[in-house]
Amino acid sequence: MKVKGRKVAIVGMGGTFPNCTDIADFNHKLFDNQSLIREWDQALAFGKNLRSSVSGFITEAEAGLEMVPSAIYEKLPEIYIDKLNRVPDKNLATADVGSIWAMINTLDAIKMAGWSKEETESEQTAVIMASGGPGSSILRAGWDLFFHLGSKSRHAGSHLVDRTMSYREVANVSCLIKNKGISESIISACATGLGNIGHAYRLISYGLQDRAITGGVEATSIEAFAGFDGMMILSRGFSPEESSRPFDKDRNGFVCSFGSGIVALEEYEMAKARGAKILAVIDGYFNNSDGDGDMFYPSFDGQKRLWKGLLAETGIKPDVVKVHGTSTPSGDSIELFGVVSTLGESGYHISAPKSQFGHMLGAAGAVELISSILMLENQKVLPCLNSVNLNPELERFQSNPEWTGTMKPMEAYRDLIPQKSFSKEINHITCLNYGFGGTNSSISISKDY
Amino acid sequence: MERQDIINGLVEILRTVRMVDQAKLESVTEETDFIADLNTPSTEMINIVSKIEQKFEVEFDDDDIDDMGSKVKDAVDLILKVKQRS
Repeated sequence: MKVKGRKVAIVGMGGTFPNCTDIADFNHKLFDNQSLIREWDQALAFGKNLRSSVSGFITEAEAGLEMVPSAIYEKLPEIYIDKLNRVPDKNLATADVGSIWAMINTLDAIKMAGWSKEETESEQTAVIMASGGPGSSILRAGWDLFFHLGSKSRHAGSHLVDRTMSYREVANVSCLIKNKGISESIISACATGLGNIGHAYRLISYGLQDRAITGGVEATSIEAFAGFDGMMILSRGFSPEESSRPFDKDRNGFVCSFGSGIVALEEYEMAKARGAKILAVIDGYFNNSDGDGDMFYPSFDGQKRLWKGLLAETGIKPDVVKVHGTSTPSGDSIELFGVVSTLGESGYHISAPKSQFGHMLGAAGAVELISSILMLENQKVLPCLNSVNLNPELERFQSNPEWTGTMKPMEAYRDLIPQKSFSKEINHITCLNYGFGGTNSSISISKDY
Repeated sequence: MERQDIINGLVEILRTVRMVDQAKLESVTEETDFIADLNTPSTEMINIVSKIEQKFEVEFDDDDIDDMGSKVKDAVDLILKVKQRS
């Protein structure tokens, strides 16, 4: 249970973002209404075998990394070299690209937080993070070698497991920063990023830890891209910058993207006492499940219960709702109607950062929380890019006799959905993320006063 | 194949392993211990053994690897033994 009066502050952050050099560049491009989505040469190389070819991807070179191929099999990375010398070779040897991003972002977040060596290595410092998928690119090459090329298992090297296991990001970050507190991963599909941050928030607010490095990661992976492409749920038929279009009536799928977002959390009074800059205060976190037995289809009831649980904890009506907003036909409409049925039809705005950088899967919730912190800092609402036309007709499910939500079409809520970034006073933001299997997560953050 | 040629080949392999203390590769002898002297993480020995097999065109049995010591001379002995065996 929450310890009364114990609050949690966000005191540091770091990230790896598509088509951005650093977090300052990310900040500039987002509020400049730019799209970070590009045509992806790796996808184009598969020709007609892939439906979609746009992504918010990050190349190894863009992240300052160079792959050293195995002497046994050139498709298997033996190790990655950090061209900018941020991570020691010993730690690089056990890491896939996503874990390297997580380590670099962690160092940036700790630097911003201003934690001492003693604080970082304390029994009161946790590492809580994960990605949505496995280390697919390394697994693929390792399995090729063993299953298809008939090689010995040891020829895949001694790091096939530590570079691909579900726990790999935490394992690598914890070995790098040498924390002695709780280290674990929460895996909840595309709610993974926010789920880990929510869990870390609880560890601190329940009095179990004082600090946490937490977030979500999804390394660039053509294997993950191909999996979603095969489900025929990726956006196609638009230019790259127009392909992610949450709420627009012509949206036809999400843009599969990659990235990493790591934040440093700290018990509020401790952070204040040492004069830390408080980027935001976490008011509360709530998560639940749809409970309707449907793997994929979003649940209006599940999302309404999500809101109810969060508001019961915080009692705060947000100035901005940072939605999951994937740009899928059913997801966006259900989510919009869930928001308006909870908050009413005015007094807040909706922001959909996936419109600018796509869906980063297990990293989505974390990178979008960072986007929300930037909204608090800039006092500007990020847009729902490409939400040009909203459906003037009712959605099919609204004519279902069991439907209990609004009987207005999406177009009725045009005023809530900005197409460009704009300034306004922002004190409170609610962030929403959902995942396959009907898992839902929400968090409320506020400006520090 | 002379023992020194094998040692030279082993040093070439070790130069490609980033976790090995590269400064110490100037003075490698048969008595040099991969782990104690060169600070090679024990997990990297698996990767080094694979590179040895490839470079010297030999194939070790699992027992060969299990029984191999951690000194350079142990690797040299094993390479020569396996070459003779085949």
